[in-house]
Amino acid sequence: MPGSTTTPDIELIVEKKPSDGGVGNLPPVDQDGGGDDGKRPRRWKPSPKRYYTGMALGIVSILMFFMALASAFLVRRGSGDWIPVHIPTLMWFNTAVLVISSATLEMARHRLSQGRLSAYRNLWLVTTALGMLFLVGQITAWRQLVGQGIYLASNPASSFFYIFTGAHALHLFGGVAALLFVAKRNFDQAQVSRSVASEIASYYWHFMDALWLFLLALLYLGK
Amino acid sequence: MVTYDDGAHASPSASPSFVGRYLFSTHHKTIGLQYLWLALVSVLVGMVLSTLLRMHASWPDTAIPFLASVQNAPERYAAIRLLHGSLMVFFVLTAAPQLGFGNYLLPLQIGSREMAFPRLNLLSFWMTVTSLAGMTASFFRPLETGIHWWLASSSIFCLAALFSALNFTVTTIDLRAEGMTLPRLPITVWAWFLNAILSMLIFSVLLAGCAALLSDRLLGSQFFSFASFLASQPLNLVQQDSLPVLWQRLFWYFAQAEVYVAMLPCFGIVTHLIATYSRKPVWKERVVVLALCGVGLIGFCVWGYHMFATGMNPYAPLVFSVLASSLGLPAAFLLASWLGTLWNARPQLSTAMLFSIGFISLFIAGGLSGIFLARHDLRTAAVSEDFVIGHFHLVMGVAATFAILAALFFWFPKMFGGRLNEPLGKLHFWVTFAGVYLIFMPMHWLGLLTQSRLLPDEQRAVLAASGASVRTLVTVATICTVGAQILFVANFLQALLQRRSVENDPWGATTLEWSIASPAPENNFGSALPIVYRGAYEFGEGHTNDFAPQHLAPELLSPEGR
Repeated sequence: MPGSTTTPDIELIVEKKPSDGGVGNLPPVDQDGGGDDGKRPRRWKPSPKRYYTGMALGIVSILMFFMALASAFLVRRGSGDWIPVHIPTLMWFNTAVLVISSATLEMARHRLSQGRLSAYRNLWLVTTALGMLFLVGQITAWRQLVGQGIYLASNPASSFFYIFTGAHALHLFGGVAALLFVAKRNFDQAQVSRSVASEIASYYWHFMDALWLFLLALLYLGK
Repeated sequence: MVTYDDGAHASPSASPSFVGRYLFSTHHKTIGLQYLWLALVSVLVGMVLSTLLRMHASWPDTAIPFLASVQNAPERYAAIRLLHGSLMVFFVLTAAPQLGFGNYLLPLQIGSREMAFPRLNLLSFWMTVTSLAGMTASFFRPLETGIHWWLASSSIFCLAALFSALNFTVTTIDLRAEGMTLPRLPITVWAWFLNAILSMLIFSVLLAGCAALLSDRLLGSQFFSFASFLASQPLNLVQQDSLPVLWQRLFWYFAQAEVYVAMLPCFGIVTHLIATYSRKPVWKERVVVLALCGVGLIGFCVWGYHMFATGMNPYAPLVFSVLASSLGLPAAFLLASWLGTLWNARPQLSTAMLFSIGFISLFIAGGLSGIFLARHDLRTAAVSEDFVIGHFHLVMGVAATFAILAALFFWFPKMFGGRLNEPLGKLHFWVTFAGVYLIFMPMHWLGLLTQSRLLPDEQRAVLAASGASVRTLVTVATICTVGAQILFVANFLQALLQRRSVENDPWGATTLEWSIASPAPENNFGSALPIVYRGAYEFGEGHTNDFAPQHLAPELLSPEGR
């Protein structure tokens, strides 16, 4: 049970703190309301599981956002003023970059599980760099489209093209920030270990990768 | 090893400054109370606005603030309506039962120290405040820019609601105390949890809709440019006034489910209170949980029936009509459970219980008129402005407000210490109860008779004239009912000024929050997190005090209770 894992942690901590003076020996249930022995607050350490759950639910929520846009896209496509946008060749190159970054991320995590910290660091930074390269590539692709005279306001198809790629880029930017955060973070003092943080960041990154493939397929097949 | 410090917010000894302690606290109880204050201010302003609207409807010639002084009166009238609706729906009905009481009570009821992500919680509260400020500001802008402000504000509200929903869901899944298994969760926690899941799905959709519409208006994109879209639709399905169909679809996708976002936590609160005051277990507790799941699931699917008038797939109405009517099923289960709990009980008719029973009454009355709206063949007769307003104010607005008031009377000792005045509370209840029926029941009648699309125009004109006196009655009742809320405000302020500590469990309730002092201490359960040994509703004969709290260990249970 998720709930049952938290309390043993806490009991452990309490027992290891001599200054808490016998708090660990108290009966678990305080009939008249507890709190009276809390002259100093005991450290509260909820299970790191909440980060996994939070990320999973966050992914569902983001997916719902893109699904709403996708259903609007499919409905709107039927109208007469739809002028399809040709996907710039550069975006296919960007796609390859993003897929490779997912692979390097997994390689980095594999190195971490083997305890090879410096190899992990290098691969992690390669992943981050690939992510940035993808973003730069997307911006360049937009500039190419603008050069061809296709703007956000040109027609419904271009509006959807820009909002899909733009919203994805914004979310991916958050992913790059997360990768940098994990790279820079000092995990000696943290509530979660480096491998847990890396794993949670990797969920988001792979989701962004898969989402991009879905959006690309939608834009390509649905134009 | 012990390196994690949960910061100043959990430490009463650190006593940070006023700003750190009240404005930017990450503590769930402080944030919960802040949401409740926000809701109180919003509901008072919203009620004054509704009075202005009614007065204008009855006596269009009198000078009314914000209407008479501005040249463009119809526009300002619409703006007042928008502000009234936004304040009530976003900052009262969504904020109070879920974000206010939920933030305060969810961690207490599951035996946790905090929400899962306290800083995210603080962020979503301040985003909600920003959104409230933005929506209020939009009211004072001219129409064109006002809409931009409103859209931007509601986008911010959606984000805030998403973050809160994430927090609620993760907290319920991962932070439950030892022994708090799913069957032992109080119904209130179930309701907050299911509601958070529902919010997480629908607020994403509204966020997408708001972002696209805002981009249309500001950047000239063409997501919702309708001239061409409507031209491609079959003629008979297109309304003359070229409705923004796609935007409506996205909006109702959200708004229909939003009704359940407001109602779900209220169902939880009412179920919880009725069991506690009846001194009986919730009748068919598992069925109630399933019914709550059903409300969430069907509520999510049901959006389409709002689209009957705007022309989507001509075959879809039947499907959605079936779905909409099938909402009656979980609603009927809930109702059966409430009545089953009350059956043969000798309920303690405190003010909180009166408001809970009032909720049931309003829910039945408003729900019955909902059947007319869900049936796609009946709705031609029933859909008119007054009928719809009467229906959803009874079932959503007033019923939810009654649940909020019931919760406030019930949990006041735990939140503030002391108690609200019971005789004054009962007077407030009866005046309000009579008042809301006097306002909204005649509105159904007005809608059916004077605006029905089934009648020829000349007959409608005759009936509309006779409706004038009824309309005046509604307005007078509105003014009196809104005025009577002074009883509540006085009661609340007086109790706040006289707050004192009371016994831990004044109502003989079983859930974990009643095991600690009243008002609740800052570190919740102190040094030892509680362990849960039993379900949430063990009331009745056989227990020493006619109830067994959730944290009572089996060996402490009296012999006759075994």
